[in-house]
Amino acid sequence: MRSLRLKLALLTASFALGFTGAAPGRDIDAASSQGVQAKIGYCKDCHGPSAQGYNGYFPIPRLAGQQPEYLQNQLHAFIEHRRTNNIMFNVAHALNPGMIAALAENFEKLNPPPVGGAPRGIAAKGKDIFENGVPEDNVAACAACHGPEATGSGIIPRLAGQLYPYVIKELTNWGKERGQNPEIRDTSAIMSPVAHSLTKPQIEAVAAFVSDLK
Amino acid sequence: MDLRIRRAQATSERRRRRSMKVVGKLAWPAAILTIVFTAPCRAEDANTATVSKQAVQAKLAYCEVCHGVSAQGFNGYYPIPRLAGQQIAYIENELQGFVEHKRTNNIMFNVGHVLSPAMIRALATDFHDLNPKPLGGGPKELAPTGEKIFHEGVPDAGVPPCASCHGPEAKGNEQFPRLAGQLYPYVVSQLTNWSNERRETNSNVMEPIAHGLTPPQVKAVAAYLSHLE
Repeated sequence: MRSLRLKLALLTASFALGFTGAAPGRDIDAASSQGVQAKIGYCKDCHGPSAQGYNGYFPIPRLAGQQPEYLQNQLHAFIEHRRTNNIMFNVAHALNPGMIAALAENFEKLNPPPVGGAPRGIAAKGKDIFENGVPEDNVAACAACHGPEATGSGIIPRLAGQLYPYVIKELTNWGKERGQNPEIRDTSAIMSPVAHSLTKPQIEAVAAFVSDLK
Repeated sequence: MDLRIRRAQATSERRRRRSMKVVGKLAWPAAILTIVFTAPCRAEDANTATVSKQAVQAKLAYCEVCHGVSAQGFNGYYPIPRLAGQQIAYIENELQGFVEHKRTNNIMFNVGHVLSPAMIRALATDFHDLNPKPLGGGPKELAPTGEKIFHEGVPDAGVPPCASCHGPEAKGNEQFPRLAGQLYPYVVSQLTNWSNERRETNSNVMEPIAHGLTPPQVKAVAAYLSHLE
């Protein structure tokens, strides 16, 4: 219903623009490079100067090098209440699809070093879990989907260099934060059993390992 | 000529397996009797022969994390194959292959080496009974060429029809895997890397075929199979 209303609104808007002649309809989806740069500056206020992530009051995730398809999906997830986060809902619902695509493309190209800061002693255990899983506890190997270097693929996010406390928070709260709109099916369901099967020390170990990966 | 020999080999192999199956059928009641009569003092042995429904369900959920909802396959960092509708004997053979390093795949080695034979059999049976729609994804315009290769082979290149072993509907037969609905990039990667990944399982049969196909032919066959229900 909501998306239907949105479509109608967009259609009306494109008619209005079409008839005023000044701007062709496709500009609704496109975003000017000036507009994109301004918006990137706004994102970096919280996500860090090179989008490498930032420990604010909440851990604010690294976006640098992230898979564009994943970023787009998450921004739409905030808008569609599939992923609950009030701050990011407010950020995302003001973005048009052209802007979302442009931002995602820009962030993918950034490659600052990881913020780091995780306890190093547990990273070796995290590496083992990342590469091999914990088969006897039915924990799948992270590498199967996120790749051997944790760079992600398409809708599957890059984890390399992600903030230690952010990874812990996500894995701990998976089912409370993601897949929250029962009317819209969501790929976040794939991670649910994995997040639930991992113990707290295992989560910390994996988070420590990925947080230092370049 | 070559093909006729191979078909004859396949037939005798099938006969051999059928006779083994009969032995297998006799072996089961015998095994049950043994377990029943020694049960009180042999609990550990019995555990390796049976597996709880709950444990199987938990393990299935674990498999589907990577192999996709209803085991229809999933494009992770690697293409992760469809297991739904797969032949039981094939799944058993491949899991064994991973554990014994006859098929190299580190992730699947780790998965496979903690599974008991009873668990493997239970999982394989469950996957065999699933029948979700194919994930698709192969370029549709290549499918007609692929269909022709699948049914007729490429006689000039010594490539027999895939259908002669995998069946006219690509559903497979025991150790010959089902290919219908398999992921496009998975079939491409398997046929391209055959000899690097598979050794000494029953994979030798496929080796000259995989080598005989050109990259465009591999893609065509993979595209055809990826849409097949």
